[in-house]
Amino acid sequence: MVASFIISFTEWDILTEPEWIGTTNYFELFEDPDFLYILSNTFVFSLVYVVGVMFFGLLLAVLVNSKIRGITFFRSAYFVPVVTSSVAVGLVWNWLLSPNYGLINSILERLLNINPPSWLGDKNIVLIVVAMVQVWKMAGYYMILFLAGLQEIPNMYYDAARIDGASKLQSFKKITLPLLTPTTFFVFTIAIINSFKSFEIIYTMTQGGPSNATNTLVYSIYLNGFLFYKTGYASAMAYVLLSIVAIITYINFILKKRWVKYQY
Amino acid sequence: MIILKKTVVYILLVLVAIIAIFPFLWMVSNSFSSEKNIFKMPPQLIPDKLFTKGMFDNYIKVLKDYDFMKYTLNSIFVATLASLGQVFTCSLAGFAFARMRFRGRNIIFGLLLATMMIPIQVTIIPEFLLMLNLGWLDTFAPLIIPSFLVGTFGTFMYKEFFENIPKDLEDAAAIDGAGPFMMFFRIFFPLSRTQTSTIFIIAYMNNWNDLLRPVLYISSQKKMTITMALTQFQSQYSARWNYLLTGAVLSILPLLIIYFALQRFVVEGLTHTGIKG
Repeated sequence: MVASFIISFTEWDILTEPEWIGTTNYFELFEDPDFLYILSNTFVFSLVYVVGVMFFGLLLAVLVNSKIRGITFFRSAYFVPVVTSSVAVGLVWNWLLSPNYGLINSILERLLNINPPSWLGDKNIVLIVVAMVQVWKMAGYYMILFLAGLQEIPNMYYDAARIDGASKLQSFKKITLPLLTPTTFFVFTIAIINSFKSFEIIYTMTQGGPSNATNTLVYSIYLNGFLFYKTGYASAMAYVLLSIVAIITYINFILKKRWVKYQY
Repeated sequence: MIILKKTVVYILLVLVAIIAIFPFLWMVSNSFSSEKNIFKMPPQLIPDKLFTKGMFDNYIKVLKDYDFMKYTLNSIFVATLASLGQVFTCSLAGFAFARMRFRGRNIIFGLLLATMMIPIQVTIIPEFLLMLNLGWLDTFAPLIIPSFLVGTFGTFMYKEFFENIPKDLEDAAAIDGAGPFMMFFRIFFPLSRTQTSTIFIIAYMNNWNDLLRPVLYISSQKKMTITMALTQFQSQYSARWNYLLTGAVLSILPLLIIYFALQRFVVEGLTHTGIKG
């Protein structure tokens, strides 16, 4: 980490000796319109990812928290996309979403008579499509995290609420959600950190394209650091990434007091 | 009423299961297609080669001609060693954090947890330089050795578990003259079978699926892991979907087998600790 910090102040292509250039890399970064575009991509991806996994993760968790026969089978089934590599997931979705012979487009065209967009070719939607695929892949993981939280809520609260005549929805809103906030906080933190780490899915599905539309910070670090040999520049980016994650996590921890409620 | 409610829940469960699993089933089914059949419109639900003599043509072709056999073995080698490394280091570290007193223990543990926050991309450049200086480029070492160094999730999980083992057990062993190592290997480690399984399989998953490290460190064809090989395969034969899908099936099959064999450790294990590193 320290090494990476020092390198970020140099101009270096790995092969020759590094040259000390101070904060030039950082200034260059923030003057580069491409970088600002990449930064905004990163945030959009992150937003879709965090909202998506938290929503679907909680939904799935509530669904599989019921005590009925065969529930472990369903839990395991929902976890399958998490186990599978992003590379295989990306490949399958590339194929399902492909414009000419993809299953999704052919369903939309033939059965519903909709003229489908080019999911991975249209630079206005591609970022959201890729983020959604990642949400599909990871929702099962967040399901498990939420499930752990749900199972910690003692049944007596629900029993008490039922005696008082509360409906299912009411007890979900008044008991489950507040008591789940420590878990939600934890899940939120993890989701944010993971959202900034997503590299494989972009590498497999779009390679940052079309025309940079899915290029995010982590992908850019890889490009600059290991394909363009701009090691110093890439290190500076890595530090921007780290600062973003650190700042968001810090804010998150400060706001924690406002909304997280503990049982005891 | 109760029956009706149950039916609704089951319908929902099945619906979600279809969404989660269908892309994989579709992939498996089409890996038994010929090239012509795969581009047919509308898409064919039942592949043309299924249950015919040439059923496994794609598989034989991909395994033999495109070397996927070799890549699978590479992946098994790397993932097995790396996961053993994780179990070894994490269990020892977890034991030390849970059962030994030393100065700065809480601070070190806090730092360790904090590293979970750092995306790997931040440290990968110095790591790459280190591997370069060690002369380890294009060997399996950079894929395996980092797993031996530290694992936040595993350490955390072992620590939680070891902390809850009654002190009496430790005292009894101490009276019998057991030192810390003896105590660890004879008592603590054998008790942690569930944790060990969970950590092993999760480390296995992470290493099997890792893409960044292989892409950076491995350059020769014959040392590629299967995950990396699949991406190369994809860029070289971007239109040969029947082979690509076959390759994808092959790349996830070993992992899925392990997952289903040990799934109770994964899903239940994670439910009980709730973090992953």
